[in-house]
Amino acid sequence: MSGIDRRDFLKLAGAGGAGAGAGFMMRESTKHPVEHLVPYTSSPEEFSPGIATWYNTVCSMCSSGCGISVRTREGRAKKIEGNPSHPVSQGRLCAHGQAGLQVLYNPDRLTGPMARTADNEDLLPITWDEGISQLATRLGSLQASGQGDSVCFLSEGVDGHLAALYERFMAQLGSSRLVHYDFTHPRTLYSAIEKLFGDSQLPYYDIGNADYVVSFGADYLSTWISPVNHSFGFGSSRKGVNGVRGRFVQIEPRMSVSGASADDWFAANPGTEGMVALAIANHIVNEGGYQGDDRDAWVSALAPYSPASMSQATGLSSSVIIGIAESFLGSQHSLAIGGGSAGNNTNGVDTLVAVNALNYLVGNLGNEGGLILNPEPVVGSGSGTLRATYTDMIELAEAARDGRIQVLILSGTNPVFNLPDAAEFREAIAQIPLVVSLSSFIDETSSLASLVLPSHTYLESWGDSFPEPGVGFSIGSVSQPVVSPLFNTRATGDIIINLAQEIGLSAAFPWSDMEEYLKEGWQQIYARGNTGDGTEGFESFWNDVVRAGVWGETTRGPSPEGLLEGVIESIDVAPPEFSGSSANYPFVFHPYISDTLEDGGAANLPWMQELPDPLTSIVYGSWVELNPLTANELNLEEGDIVEVESPHGRVTAPVFIYPAIMPNVIGMPIGQGHTDYGRYASGRGSNPIQILSPQLETETGDLAWAATRVAINPTGRRVEIVKTGGVSRELGREIIQKVGADGADADGADHAAELSSIPVKVVRS
Amino acid sequence: MSFIDTLRSRWQEYRRPGYYENFDYAWTMTIDLDSCTGCGACVTACQAENNIPLVGEEELARGREMHWIRIERYWEGEFPNAKLNFIPMLCQHCDAAPCETVCPVSATYHNQDGLNAQVYNRCVGTRSCAVYCPYEVRYFNYYNHEWPSPLDQQLNPDVTVREKGVMEKCTFCIQRIRQAKDAAKDDGRRRVLDGEVQPACVQTCASQAMVFGNRNDSQSEVFKSMNDPRAYHVLEEVNTAPSVVYLKKVEVNG
Repeated sequence: MSGIDRRDFLKLAGAGGAGAGAGFMMRESTKHPVEHLVPYTSSPEEFSPGIATWYNTVCSMCSSGCGISVRTREGRAKKIEGNPSHPVSQGRLCAHGQAGLQVLYNPDRLTGPMARTADNEDLLPITWDEGISQLATRLGSLQASGQGDSVCFLSEGVDGHLAALYERFMAQLGSSRLVHYDFTHPRTLYSAIEKLFGDSQLPYYDIGNADYVVSFGADYLSTWISPVNHSFGFGSSRKGVNGVRGRFVQIEPRMSVSGASADDWFAANPGTEGMVALAIANHIVNEGGYQGDDRDAWVSALAPYSPASMSQATGLSSSVIIGIAESFLGSQHSLAIGGGSAGNNTNGVDTLVAVNALNYLVGNLGNEGGLILNPEPVVGSGSGTLRATYTDMIELAEAARDGRIQVLILSGTNPVFNLPDAAEFREAIAQIPLVVSLSSFIDETSSLASLVLPSHTYLESWGDSFPEPGVGFSIGSVSQPVVSPLFNTRATGDIIINLAQEIGLSAAFPWSDMEEYLKEGWQQIYARGNTGDGTEGFESFWNDVVRAGVWGETTRGPSPEGLLEGVIESIDVAPPEFSGSSANYPFVFHPYISDTLEDGGAANLPWMQELPDPLTSIVYGSWVELNPLTANELNLEEGDIVEVESPHGRVTAPVFIYPAIMPNVIGMPIGQGHTDYGRYASGRGSNPIQILSPQLETETGDLAWAATRVAINPTGRRVEIVKTGGVSRELGREIIQKVGADGADADGADHAAELSSIPVKVVRS
Repeated sequence: MSFIDTLRSRWQEYRRPGYYENFDYAWTMTIDLDSCTGCGACVTACQAENNIPLVGEEELARGREMHWIRIERYWEGEFPNAKLNFIPMLCQHCDAAPCETVCPVSATYHNQDGLNAQVYNRCVGTRSCAVYCPYEVRYFNYYNHEWPSPLDQQLNPDVTVREKGVMEKCTFCIQRIRQAKDAAKDDGRRRVLDGEVQPACVQTCASQAMVFGNRNDSQSEVFKSMNDPRAYHVLEEVNTAPSVVYLKKVEVNG
């Protein structure tokens, strides 16, 4: 270290000690500014940074199927980043994806197989051989006696070869009870797309090339379907599509992350989003010069939905509806998407049919910036048909209560937490003689298991993923272990293969493990051709796919010719029905998927608990959102604990006053309220799903989770809400500066030059 | 020359604009508020990369948040015209950083890349720098934080774990910069190429709101971005000459 000796150092230290201000003057005035204090942050010459090894694999934190690259050092995973060559993630990742490391290294992970003691009290460690043979014996005898159907496999939503393996296993057992359950599964969107275009898969919404996007309740930037891909598109569109800055409109009763990022946010009455869509369609068809052959059919189908007649029901003025319609028609690449609470009212499918019909009316189907259908699934029949609805789950619960289920195998899903109390799912599972859990954690559902055979996490297992929706062409990824297993756990696929062989199904399960099974499956993908020159054989193809972390074909999905016959005539959105009378339950309850904890699955990750909620900055807790006017009327302030009462139960949580929620709507995030699920999740906040009424979406029989009414009962108690944000207004500090699209900002100053980088087309005048 | 004149001239010399043009790098970040969605991916990416501890609910309740980058949110208007604006806030790596001049032990200083760096093992925890920082982006370790096993296996070996009594803050992922410089040196290049180094937050940003690079390189993405007509500095009036440049949000009226 040169340039400073001990004396200089003491001088500096002394100056600092004399007072901060004096220290600052003395130091600057007595010394040449360029100093040579060398901290360890610039490392010594002989130090060389370690070399990391990166593995490409697939994120399993939600069902988007983002390709990821995991950085490992000395055999440990250190950091997850998006895989730049993967078309879904494009090298980017969301907070949940980043936090996948805390699934792997979670201190509450199960470390090995366990079984309950004879008196059904404690879970005690057993060996894998004991566990597998215990289960195999039971399954084997049921299969041999033709009672295979009394075995139920209840799994989180999986796709690709693992799903195919499950199917094969259950078919061999003679059981039809393979149930994939995901609270967030967009069942109603599948049905709507099927109704419109006859396609059984989700379409790809090309947000990146759209310049006018209207979202009906879909929080596409945070929790809906494929947030990373949508956010990438959002950023691209905001930077300009053919020189036009993308403009985003959000219609929803409570402002979501996507609503906050939108240019225009409108609150329509809950469940009336479909009517808004039809009113927009009405204007496009009648006034907007729609020229299609089917114009007459549209005109008569949409006759009851004029913007003027819809404004009473929806709460949006006809000028707002007409404004959106004209921009939608006037933009080069308009796109309509719908989901979230809009798809989970009693009229969910009709709403989404109405929304997606707008895409047809502006002719964006199959086009850049439009709705693009995906090709046939590469493996299996796609996830849409596999996922269980609420009605399916109720049937399962009934079967369990009637003693028709002898063995329940759980894997990764937590229906006890994700189903309303009204479903009485916990009580039903308690009736099943043998409950086996393959989950990596003890959650509310797996805590009922008497045999625990814990799986590897996704970062320790082989698998594959074929993202649904794709990006308009077929893509897939192989998921490979990036670290060796931490604990005495096994991959789910290996457990299934092992079980099958123990039962005596070796003929149908000839593979030694999941990896071998996977490779055999990928032989067929290799055989599809389209795999480069293909001269080097399967091994080289396989290695390339694993290394690159992505495989794809250039074949596009079908371009829809038009709508299915009879769709236009049947287009109609019934008013939403809510459970509970408006006299006793004055508010519409709006539970929403948490931006940090998802549907509760991420609640055991401390990074997610500590990540401030994007909209409220609240950490580690639950809250109830009230419009300032409502709070004023009820004489409630932030932190007042209230009881939210529905016809089916009560939960308590503190009030948070939220400026962008309708006065007759009560918002509450899903995700907290765990009673199990480890140290970070359990005993924290409350779970709004508990009090939902078993109100069904009329067509799919799925839970209409946005269709419950509630009352707010003050308790008189108070807590301090833990949040990181301070003052919620800028108070003239101009921290966030803006420039108006017309080149002028609030003070009327001319900022036209500032817009030169992004030409902004103002569609409406 | 009077004492004050000497002081002023030295000050001018030290704070003259373009000082870092004499060196290879002047690391700069731009954040486009028109693209930022406030999702928080940057926050978690930073936490993973930089061994930022979990402080727990109790500490958070006392305002002891520990996130080198955070999302600030400001509301304007009332329902139904309420608007929410996001701004990611991190160390601005000011050329004229108030935190540096106030440190009694010179634990925080400016390196020749234009980074405001913190020397953890020199910090004695007076917290003066946190008081002087107009952006409130310095975080103090009130305790020794723990990573319950096996969470500790995730810790990044390229980044130190800070102890109780030490101030910490964003480093622009200096370990990644070092790694890139090392790789360039091994390649026989004098300089790191544009895009070769990205801090964890910029790397993960799905809406591509952030750009990072060397503003001494007029061909770099960040140079183009910081010369966007929408560019501004937060709290420009305090004359800190930040290295983080924000691009104004575009507001479409009507």
